[in-house]
Formats: sequence, structure tokens, C-alpha cells
Amino acid sequence: MTKIGMMSFAHMHACSYAACVNQLADAELTAIWDDDAARGQSMAKQYKTTFMADMKKFLASDIEGVIICSENVKHRAMTEAAAKAGKWVLCEKPLATTVDDAKAMVAACKKAKVGLGTAFPCRYAPTLIELKDRVARGELGEIYAASTTNNGSYPGGWFADDALSGGGATMDHTVHVVDVLRWLTGKEFTKAYCENGRLIHKNIHTDDVGSVHLEMDGGLIVSHIASWNRSKSFPTWGDVTLELIGEKGVIEVDAFNQKINVYSDKQMKAEWANWGGNMDLGLVQDFVAAVRERRDPPVTGLDGLRAVEVTVAAYRSVQTGKMVRVAS
Amino acid sequence: MNVAIIGCGGMGHMHARMAANAGLKVVVCGDKFKRKADALAKKFDAAASDDCMEVITRPDVDIVAIATPTPVHTQYVVAAAEAGKHVFCEKPFGRTVHQCKEAIAAVKKAGVRLFVGHVVRYFQEFEAIKAQVDAGKIGRVGFIRTYRGGIMPEGEEMWFRDYDQSGGVTFDCVIHDLDWLRYMFGDVDHVFSQHLQRSTPETMDYSQTTLRMKSGVIANVIGTWAHPSGFRVKTELCGESGMIQYDSAESPIHAMSRGNAGAGPGMIVPSSPVPVSPYQLEWEDFVAWLYEEREPRVTAHDALEAVRIGLAALQSAESGKPVFL
Repeated sequence: MTKIGMMSFAHMHACSYAACVNQLADAELTAIWDDDAARGQSMAKQYKTTFMADMKKFLASDIEGVIICSENVKHRAMTEAAAKAGKWVLCEKPLATTVDDAKAMVAACKKAKVGLGTAFPCRYAPTLIELKDRVARGELGEIYAASTTNNGSYPGGWFADDALSGGGATMDHTVHVVDVLRWLTGKEFTKAYCENGRLIHKNIHTDDVGSVHLEMDGGLIVSHIASWNRSKSFPTWGDVTLELIGEKGVIEVDAFNQKINVYSDKQMKAEWANWGGNMDLGLVQDFVAAVRERRDPPVTGLDGLRAVEVTVAAYRSVQTGKMVRVAS
Repeated sequence: MNVAIIGCGGMGHMHARMAANAGLKVVVCGDKFKRKADALAKKFDAAASDDCMEVITRPDVDIVAIATPTPVHTQYVVAAAEAGKHVFCEKPFGRTVHQCKEAIAAVKKAGVRLFVGHVVRYFQEFEAIKAQVDAGKIGRVGFIRTYRGGIMPEGEEMWFRDYDQSGGVTFDCVIHDLDWLRYMFGDVDHVFSQHLQRSTPETMDYSQTTLRMKSGVIANVIGTWAHPSGFRVKTELCGESGMIQYDSAESPIHAMSRGNAGAGPGMIVPSSPVPVSPYQLEWEDFVAWLYEEREPRVTAHDALEAVRIGLAALQSAESGKPVFL
């Protein structure tokens, strides 16, 4: 039985990961630590585990791997502490808000000889696995262009506080698709241009839409929308979409478009109920396997770092008004 | 009033039909390929000629409708103006800003009227979007994403595939959205764009453009001539209190034929089963202007600005830099 602990439930994805750990026959959710004690206690109750208020005691326990779902800027400190204590780490995306932090996290885990994974569950979405297979089979031939979106509804709270999040929608919703494109093509990003701003929501102080233009090795052009532009009335939380233009054809993917339309008078809002696979389960399962076998998770810290480099370049482009190089 | 059609390809046929629907008479058809002029003229019992300048100066012509490849639009606008004729010109207005300015000067000097066919302003679905936005249904709009295109059109002598002539999907096709976005959200501050404009091994174009409007609004504009078939238009507007989405793929009629598989298209025109074609509506708007009934929805200045934005997008794609208007 692999012992997993969770550090912070600031990011709502923690709930899904905790439920996934509880579903696995070969893993147990041993304890939760959270710097917000009230939240930690209530989550421990919900997921039938122990809350530990002291991070030192938590890390000194026999937990083998931790899943970190704190505010973005706290990822580094928690990862470093966990690595130092010899724990395997799965960190929520974005891995960090600066390239320096992401590099330090990769280095700390390497030094401590523990595995570091970045939570990019899209790699476990059946639709995107199918896409990956088709691309690998050469259905598109060379890929020339991609137009993508990761739209979402407004998450509120610390997500809109740059001091804790490192940035708004561009920070939150660029990395998933960046990682998917790296995974699909095996290419790295070379250049970034971004227009963003607070365009939708009143009374918030960060960007809620980013229009990001990117280039990958060999001149593959990418247009990506990272947003919190889905209204409360929209029937679902958001999307991940990709249109890939290749030498031999085109593939259009709406990754979570496996839905039934629900019209409930109790809700007075049309809703899309998803019946697709739970991609988080594959992510957590693979992390647990990596912990047990004392190896790196399949989606590594380096993958997280590469995605951070693209996001950071996008924000640098906003500041300079130019297309900038993606540092690596 | 009598109409001369200059350029008898797909759009020439469309405008001849729509001008007739709007109550005008097609009296002569001109095309440098006589066979094309003949084919269209036959449908309207009109005269045909391969000498377009001769067609324009005929005394029985009141209005000249230009549906040639883009680079020669304005030479016919100028000739028509000098001959004292009103002009209907297909979009894009011209291939350069200079051409458009010359044409505007010529119609001004001659005291004739020039209308440029930015037909999307007359499409019912786009008017429905405008009505919802104007009614405040989604509050202040901050972000728009548009999508337009499908298979690459061919045209006579494959002129659409000559990027120097057509300007590719960005300038020829996406200009519809560039104009509509300016119509809805005001002038553009700057543009960033990427495109393919490939000629080998397959000829295809694809473009990705971001407009920053002077108001701060961002629009992401995707255009494709890279699809193996079809034609699709999508539009999404995001506001502070809601969203609007339109997708032409959700059309009420889906027909599939067992015959005729693999036939290539000329120029694809989206068909929407509506009481009055938007192409007819633009003609009616133009004619009403000629009868002093009202100002038209599209001005020559609007058409010049659309050309300016389209050229800025091409320039950005070439330079890798944002281009300010």
C-alpha cells in the first residue's frame, strides 16, 4: 500500500486527486497537511483521512509521496521541503510562476533523488490519447499550425491575486495546451507573443483573457487562447480545443465534448454533463506507480518547467510589446 | 437602372443575380475570357465582351459591378468613375492602400457613388449577434474569436492561390471578419498575425491574427484555406454578463449526395436558407443609396480601413512584429 499525503487544498483540483487516491486499491490517502487548518480539517473529514497541522511532522511521517495543490507561488517551498524529506512529489500546474522557481524545484528533487511530476492530466484524457495516436501514426504528416483554446470560468479567490498566482488567465490556462503540443509533436517552443488584459470581469486586478501566439521548432505556428471568459450561464466550466493543420490533413479536437445536454427546471440553466473518462485517475495512478517503483512520474518536472518558460515568455511579451524568445 | 458586370466568375454570377433581384437590369457582361462573359450574358439576355473598358463606357450602363481578381478592382473603379458610372466593387476593395485612395479620389471627383461588398454586415446571423450585443444581453464585450474558411478556392487561372494577387486567406477571406469587428468594436490599434501561405508540397494557407482594438478589446481571428473540404464560420463573443456563440456547422439542413463525389469548387459561398439573401440585401442597400433613400451600411472609407487592417496582418506575419495602424 503506497502512502500518499496531500499538501494544501488551495487549488480545487486537490479534491479530485484525493478522491482518485481513495479509489486506488494500492494506495492510501494517509494524511493531509494544509496551511489553512480549517480547510485541511474539513477536507480530511471529507476524504476520510487525518489532518496534520504541523508540516514538519507531516513530512517526517512514513508518507512516500505528496500531491501539492497550494497557491502557485508556494509550490517551490513545499516541493523543496518535501524533496528534502525524501518524498516523491506531484505538483499542480503551473509548476511555478517563474523559471528560477521551476528550475530550483527540478534541481531540489534531483539532488534528493526523488521523482517530481507535474499535474498535466490532459495527457490522460482519452480524446487526447487518441489524437496522440493519430499524430504518431502520421495521419497529419508534418504539422504546420495549431489553433487552440483553454477557456474556463472565473475561479475567483487567490487565482485573481497575482501575488499568490503569479498572473491571471494567461498563467492559469496556457500550460496545459503547451504541454499537449510538446507531447504531440516532440518539438519545443521557440517564440512567444501575447496580448492580454482584464477584459471580461469587473473589479478584478489581473488578466482574464490572453491571446498567445507561439512558434515551435521548425516554424510550427500556434495561436492559443487562455481565458476565464466562460460566463456563469455557460453550460460547462470551459474547454480544451485544438485544430491541427498538417501536410496530409486536419484534425479538430474538442477534448471534453463527450457530454449529454441536461435541461433541468431545478437549475434553470442548460448544462453539459460529461460522460468521458476521468483523466485525473490516470494521472494519480501513474504517480502512485512511480512512487512505488521509485522512478520519475511519466510527466516530469522538466515538462512543467518547459511550460513555465512559455508562460513567462508570454508575460514578458506583454511587457515589451514584442515577440520574445522562449528561454530554455 | 442598368448594370454591367465586370468579371464573370463565381461572384460575377452572384452579383448579376442579386442586382436583378434588387430590380436592376443586367445589360452587359465583360470578362477577359470571352467564354465566361458569354456564359453569364446568356442567362440575362445581355451583351458580352472581352473588352472590359469598352463595357464600362457603354452609354446604356448606369452601374458597374466589379468582381474581378483583387489587384485589378480599382483600375475598373477609376475607369467607371471617369465614365460617370456608379460602382459596386467586390471585397477586398483593392490590393494596396494607394489603389483604394486613388479609387476614392476618382469617385469623389466624378460625383458617382461607390459601394464595396462587405456582405457579412448583411448576414442575418451576424445581424442577430449585433442585435443581442446592442440590447446589452451580454454586457460589455471584451473578447471575440472568429473563424472562417474551408477548402482553398481556385478561381480562374488559380488566382486565389497566387498570394501576391489574393493576399491569401488573411486578406481575401478573413477581411470579412476584420471589417465586421471594426464595424462592431471600432478602430484597430494594432495587429499581430501568423500565416502559412504554403505552396509545396500542398498549396494551403492558414492564418491566426490577434487584433487589439483602440478600446482595448481583443479579437482572435482564425482563417483557413487549409481544409480538404467544406466551409465553416464560427463566432464567439464574451462579455461581462454572458456569451454569444454561432457555428455554421449547426445549420438546419445537412444534405449528402451519392453522386458527384470529389468535384472541386470554384469560389465557395455559404448558403443560408433565408427569405432574402444577404447579397441581395447589400444590393438593395446600395440601390436605396442611389435613390437617395438612405446612407449605406458600408462606406468606401470602411472598405479602405478593412484593406488597411488586412495589409497590417500580412505585414505582421512577414515581420514577426505587431503592426500599428
